[in-house]
Amino acid sequence: MSSEKVLTVKKTSLDEAVAIAKKGTHCGMCRIDFLGTGLCPSGKKHGYLAYWPQGRMELVKHLKEGKIKPTEKLVEIANSCTLCGICDKQCNFTTQLRPEKVAKAIKEHVNNLDKSEIQSVPEDDMLRGLREIVGEQWATNDPNIIVSYTRSIIPPDSELKFYIVMPESTEQVSKIIKFANKNNLPYMARSGGTTFSVTASYVLTKALSLDHGIVIDLLRLKKLEIHPESSTAVVGAGITTFEIQKAAHKHNLRVLAAEAGAHYCSNIATTGIISTWGNKYGAFADNFIDVTQVDEEGTITKHSDAGIVNPYSAETGFANVTMTPSKIITEAVVKLHPIFDDEIAVFVPFTHLKDALSMLVKLGKRDVGLSLSILSAKYLAEFLSPTIQLSRDFEYICKHHLKLNWVVSVIGTKDDQKIVEEMAEYTMDQSLMKSLILGAPRFSALKDSEFLKILSEEDDPLKALFAGPMRKHLEKSLDPSPEQVAKVYDKDLQDFFKKLYTKPEMTNVVWLHAFRILPTRMLRQRMFSGPGGSIWSGDMDHVLNWIQMFADVGDKYGLEHSLGFITPLDHGNFVYMEYDYFFNHNDPEHGHKIGKAFIETTEQSYVMGKVITLMDYLFKGMYRKEHILYPIPKGISKEEQLMFKELLESTLGGEETW
Amino acid sequence: MVKFLSEEWIQHSKKYMYEKLDPQKDLNNVTTSLLAVIEHVPPADTIMNFYLNIENGKIADFTVNTGNTCEKDATFVITGSYGTFRGILKGEMNMTIALLKNRLKLKGSKMQALKLMKPLDGIIESLRKITDEFEE
Repeated sequence: MSSEKVLTVKKTSLDEAVAIAKKGTHCGMCRIDFLGTGLCPSGKKHGYLAYWPQGRMELVKHLKEGKIKPTEKLVEIANSCTLCGICDKQCNFTTQLRPEKVAKAIKEHVNNLDKSEIQSVPEDDMLRGLREIVGEQWATNDPNIIVSYTRSIIPPDSELKFYIVMPESTEQVSKIIKFANKNNLPYMARSGGTTFSVTASYVLTKALSLDHGIVIDLLRLKKLEIHPESSTAVVGAGITTFEIQKAAHKHNLRVLAAEAGAHYCSNIATTGIISTWGNKYGAFADNFIDVTQVDEEGTITKHSDAGIVNPYSAETGFANVTMTPSKIITEAVVKLHPIFDDEIAVFVPFTHLKDALSMLVKLGKRDVGLSLSILSAKYLAEFLSPTIQLSRDFEYICKHHLKLNWVVSVIGTKDDQKIVEEMAEYTMDQSLMKSLILGAPRFSALKDSEFLKILSEEDDPLKALFAGPMRKHLEKSLDPSPEQVAKVYDKDLQDFFKKLYTKPEMTNVVWLHAFRILPTRMLRQRMFSGPGGSIWSGDMDHVLNWIQMFADVGDKYGLEHSLGFITPLDHGNFVYMEYDYFFNHNDPEHGHKIGKAFIETTEQSYVMGKVITLMDYLFKGMYRKEHILYPIPKGISKEEQLMFKELLESTLGGEETW
Repeated sequence: MVKFLSEEWIQHSKKYMYEKLDPQKDLNNVTTSLLAVIEHVPPADTIMNFYLNIENGKIADFTVNTGNTCEKDATFVITGSYGTFRGILKGEMNMTIALLKNRLKLKGSKMQALKLMKPLDGIIESLRKITDEFEE
């Protein structure tokens, strides 16, 4: 340990650790090597969530509340952390948190225990049976490990009547399910596409979670093969989107990607991967060649099996809503797409959503670009800004000084760029975006400056800024550099971030977008819920009214809210929209409001018609997009609306528990 | 109070449903038929079939048998494990959630089945009142 490190090591109380842990949002970025630091050695070796920074966040909360007793596994969890600091770098980049303090607090807590306080957890018949399948190390009933899965598949405040099991093969998954059935134990797969890591801990929790039984953590299914000759990859359920993207990138190929830290197979199971690249690369069953899956009887099947019942057809509408993936995907053969030498990013700024939407749909219908989207100023601010405060100032400047409320983001080739530049009066190019990333602190400091006040008095500030001489002044005043952006981080991390921002990829918008690194900043220290869905793009007023409905519901419940992104699907015939409601995930009242907003927007979407809601998508990712998006639904009748309410009441136990 | 799925339980259930369920209040005057298939019944990992025919809210037929087949035709067939039905009887989960979570499989119109959920809750509630022992 270096002398500098020794100086920074000081005692961390459980209270301080819990304060950090409560801000954690299970983004999972501590489980992928997205900054080139390597992975948490403890998590990599032991696998279970409790050994990763993410899991320790839940563990420390339960320890402080006295909900779990010290066990031999707790001692192992505490001692397995080497205080290497990797988690601090990763977590600070996305959330500004310091999870190493949590690990230290657990270590200190364990060191202060008397040996007599440490219990061993007896093996019961169920655990013995599971261990016979996966080996002793990979099945446990230790409460200190179980609690780390809270909010990741286990609902908060659960009794800890679970077994955690980590199979390494499809055959083992099959055996576990057969064992579970024989013993009448429910089960659910983590990394199986349950969506529970995000807002499902707060919305529709009863319906989406596992109340007791077996958590099948699929992390050890690590198969990853890239086949450049066929532009395909074989990916196991334990492989994250980041990992497959990184492997494909070495061959100048890319995969359709959603959240960087999410497991690729689980994303297929959940929504079929809805992404801004979907207009070009496809959606739902377009993304894979074959899948290996295990059904509820433990039977292993492949989509390519001869004689299989049509696996691509699904019905939508609220009567066909499902709350869990029907099968566990353990492996998939997925499509890869070429990376072109002349790929660029170009952004078109807009004041009015209608104008941005009009351009997006035109581009979508003409199949321009590889990735197409409208991003709100809030999204842009969250992505580009390294801290929460800077993102708030960034957004304020966009909205109040620049009247920049939306950007149409296009990633494509030089040919695509040409088309976009012919359609738009002015654009923001990669160079400017790089300046905004490296100059974010200076940009945010311009809030209410004379420069921006003068600019905001222009009839069209965007034009004055992006198509006139003021752009040079702006870029100069940003003084963009790795040194400058690094200054906003904690002092002991500044050298690291200075080096990090010299890496070309960290300012390359195409790379950042393809690897989906920046969107995780949406989850910094607070949660968001992103309802929405797809809507037929042929009636622009209907689309705008639908989006306004989400804003009205946000206002009604006093939630911080913003449209997140819109992207075309199926050659621009549909647009997919995510609308975000932000909330304090430690405040039950906020969770309650989020639940109500989610239900109300879903109900209104059904009533409005021509909308395929998120509820219709969930857990139907393996079906053909043609069966999900078509036929375009009509609005539901009053009678059906009443039935929808009854369904919710029956499902959720009455409005008060939403 | 008796053990779930025992002979005694079946007799109690029949008696209770015939005598105590109110056609209008508990069963919404519904007319339908339902076959519930319970799999993995301990201790011998067997299958039990419950056939229920309701006419205008009155129980017209309630038949129970063991094995892979049931000769009665039903509008709806609901299949699930003993553990799932145990959870429902214990009040840990309701039928709708079990359906949405794929813990119960349904054959028949989902929309029509959803309309049945309230009356079925009435039946479950009545069975809960006479059941106090389960295989764990």
